[in-house]
Amino acid sequence: MGLTFLNGAFLIAALAALVPIVIHLISRRRVETIDFSSLRFLKELERKRIRRVRLRQILLLIIRSLILLAVALALARPTLRGRFAGGAGAHAKTSVAIVLDESASMSRRIDGDDLFTQAVAVGERIADLLDEGDQAFLVTAGAPPVSVLADGTYSPDALREALGGLAVSAAATDYPEAIDSALGLLRGSRNLNREIYVVGDLQRTGWIGSAREDAGPRSDAAPAADPTGGATGGDDPADAASEPGDVPAVRGYLIPLTGPEGNLGVVGVEVARKHGGTAGLFSFSSEVRNWSRRSVEMPVKLFVDGVQVGQAGVELEPGAAGTARFAAAVDESKWHAGWIELPDDALPTDNRRYFTIPPARRVEILVVRPDGEDPRDDAYYLVRALDPAGDGMRFAPAVVEASALGSQERRRFPVAVLADVGRLDRAGERWIEEHVEDGGGLLIVLGSRTDMRYWNAELLPGLLGATLRGLVERPAGVRLAPSAVGHPLLSGLVVGERLIDDVSVRRAFDVEANLREDVLELPGLGPVLVLGRTDGGGEVAALLTGVDPTWSDLPQSGFLVPLVHRLVGRLEGGHARASRTLVGEDLFVPIEETARGRIDVELPGGGTAIAEARAVGRRGAVLAGVREPGIYRFAIDAVPIALGAVNVDPRESDLAPVAAAEIEGLGGDVKLTVVSPDRPLEEEVLEARHGRELWRLFVYAALVLIALEMLLARSRLI
Amino acid sequence: MAEESYRRFLDPVVVSKLATMELRARLVVEGFVTGLHRSPYKGFSVEFAEHRQYMPGDPLKHIDWKVYGKTDRLYIKEYEEETNLRGHVLLDASASMAYTSGGISKLEYGRYLAAALIYLMLKQQDSVGLLVFDEAVREFIPPRSNPRQLHLLLSELDRAGPSSETDIGLVLHELARRIKRRGLVILISDLLDDPQDVLPGLKHFRHLKHEVIVFHVLDPRETEFGFDADATFRDMETGELMTTEPFSIRRDYVEAVDRWMTHLRRECGESRIDYVPIQTSTPYDRALFSYLEKRKRLG
Repeated sequence: MGLTFLNGAFLIAALAALVPIVIHLISRRRVETIDFSSLRFLKELERKRIRRVRLRQILLLIIRSLILLAVALALARPTLRGRFAGGAGAHAKTSVAIVLDESASMSRRIDGDDLFTQAVAVGERIADLLDEGDQAFLVTAGAPPVSVLADGTYSPDALREALGGLAVSAAATDYPEAIDSALGLLRGSRNLNREIYVVGDLQRTGWIGSAREDAGPRSDAAPAADPTGGATGGDDPADAASEPGDVPAVRGYLIPLTGPEGNLGVVGVEVARKHGGTAGLFSFSSEVRNWSRRSVEMPVKLFVDGVQVGQAGVELEPGAAGTARFAAAVDESKWHAGWIELPDDALPTDNRRYFTIPPARRVEILVVRPDGEDPRDDAYYLVRALDPAGDGMRFAPAVVEASALGSQERRRFPVAVLADVGRLDRAGERWIEEHVEDGGGLLIVLGSRTDMRYWNAELLPGLLGATLRGLVERPAGVRLAPSAVGHPLLSGLVVGERLIDDVSVRRAFDVEANLREDVLELPGLGPVLVLGRTDGGGEVAALLTGVDPTWSDLPQSGFLVPLVHRLVGRLEGGHARASRTLVGEDLFVPIEETARGRIDVELPGGGTAIAEARAVGRRGAVLAGVREPGIYRFAIDAVPIALGAVNVDPRESDLAPVAAAEIEGLGGDVKLTVVSPDRPLEEEVLEARHGRELWRLFVYAALVLIALEMLLARSRLI
Repeated sequence: MAEESYRRFLDPVVVSKLATMELRARLVVEGFVTGLHRSPYKGFSVEFAEHRQYMPGDPLKHIDWKVYGKTDRLYIKEYEEETNLRGHVLLDASASMAYTSGGISKLEYGRYLAAALIYLMLKQQDSVGLLVFDEAVREFIPPRSNPRQLHLLLSELDRAGPSSETDIGLVLHELARRIKRRGLVILISDLLDDPQDVLPGLKHFRHLKHEVIVFHVLDPRETEFGFDADATFRDMETGELMTTEPFSIRRDYVEAVDRWMTHLRRECGESRIDYVPIQTSTPYDRALFSYLEKRKRLG
């Protein structure tokens, strides 16, 4: 049992209780002396009345001081905490935020019910714990978290209604972000009890592998955008968890719902045009993973345009991943969509992975070379790799010197290649910045002429969040071997046990890159390729070794052409980009420059939406915040113009819950307590919720004292 | 001088601004007389003054039957009064009489009132004496009616200033012993002494068959206690101090003063002493009327 003050700062106002005493002392000192004819009658009164007046003065002084003290204490919100403070069943006002997981993994079925339905039932039990005047918020944990009751409700029925209105989604889980949102909402509450309930499967990837966690350690993470429109603001979540010295810290309860953890899922698919073969021939490489505790042998099927065109068998050990490969020919003159499919299991959502194949088109590529004459520079090799036949059928390279970059027409080139450019002039820098901001692709090839200090100061940090640390030299060369090259970009470039051609790298820049970037790394050498997305939606790739015989074998290798085609094809924003969109993200599809009119989108579930045309870098259509996995069909005036594929976040496929030992550090400053859904919540919650605010008592006391003061000051009772 | 101009000299404040005591006395009396419909100097004595028409209630013995025989109308004979009244004006000059809340002090008021009474009495051929006292008799001028008496008494009044404590009872007893012939005793005082001492002194005069008028002079503040802020009060006679909150005790104070004055009035009434409470803001005519009433009864 203890007394705390929720607005401790107001305790300083208690000094106001001294004001009447000070005024009394000052006015006593200033009292006037008056000559009077006789004190005869005053002396008579002295015996009874004046003594009473003095007594009354002292009483008034005490009462006035007590009034100010009571008001100051009421403002400071004194609170008696402890088991006996509230009496049986009573509790101080409480604010409750329910973080309810409606992510894809919650669709798991168990005993004829899914986990999400169980979660809603738990939410209703939490609503039962609310008394009159208690406040409730509801936040969903699927990325991005949404505050369903952002303003809070004081009605348990409204909370139940909001819970009933929720549905399981295909989104990934982001518990830290959802808890931050909930904390932001609770931050506005001055109630004594503030509680967060996290109801869900407590999937480990929802905590550890969430977008927030990827950005860095939790305590250092910058808070994400607030879905409620400002409740969390830019404050550190720790601030929300506990107000300085005032409102007690938020209590957190984890209510884990358990279901089958064994799951098989398709976590990625790469579609690549086969080179050196027949036109329209594509390779499909699909990564599947086994999260169950037993070995699995299963068929993996390929569907294109709704028709099964391939099947492969995959055998996976517990916890292992494997790749299923297919090849199929499609008509390159139009869009195609398809998916890779696994047999049904506990979590059906991740058993399909969708992709699209855009029609082939001729793309102009701007290759920027250093000023001056050098017949065998990097640009020379890159141009030949881009257009080996010299007919410009797929890529049509246009070569300009660095000094002429600023005057080039930007819209014409979806991708620019900086081929060992030492430095750019101001106009060139601006051209690149605008190109990237508009969503254009950029390939940076570093080499002998690279002015490391210039690139670190002007371009690389802004474009890729990377800086060059120095040059690594391996005169004997480091070979790109299939075992070393696990990057999807290179899938399909392996024939049997070896790459289609041998490549050795002898020199490469050592780079310090943000971990979020996609890095192709060679053991013993380090990264040779860094890929990153830009704010404009485009991509930037940096090849850290020069396309120059002194740096690597690339110029003479048969590996250069497919590598450059894969890389530039990806930067161009073609099929790969349209297939990498996850639920919750914005879906972008490239459309023709000539396409005009309202862009209607047919959603996978049968609904429709309108996409926004984006005339930047290259023309495209954007559908913001897609919520369903599947194929999205874009059309203008009922004429199909593009297809887009949206998939479930592969992290959602790993159903393993967070380990008990890890829970302690997950809540930041919020102490998380695990409550079994089978136990009555009342036992855990109400016991901790006891407490009684005393400010009303002090307000009543002040009112009684004011009445007493008025009575005493005006009456002749004393 | 117009009647209205004279009447303003009944205002104590106006009178206090006049230069000499004689002027003050004369103007007060003239101001008072101009308001009367008949001369205060006319009475029923031996020296005939004039006839006036009989009014119901006039004593039949004053009807001039000769005139009735000639004119068949009833007339009353009026005479210049010839008096042998001996008046004593007793002025309290103790320190408490110096109190003023802003206008004129009680002592000033008393001095001007005494002067007016003396002037009026001497004009009526009465003999008047003056006694100025505080805790003892400071000055005593025996009553006379000769023309020099006015100047003498007014000069004495001019000099009378506040002094020390008061002991009215003692002074009254002493004076009662001194005055052998019975007459009129006019006491001008704030009576701020123990009533147990004051009243026996007054009754002593009555016992000796003197007629007594008490002009009880008080400042308005002494009856209303109109002080606002907390204050320390200093007794003007004893120098004693007392701090209090006037607002809180005002009602009790006023009640106590009322009780005191009621007690004085009752006791005086029982002893047939005229008790006239007046405040320093009261016009002088009220006091002068009281005197004339008394004088008339003395006939």
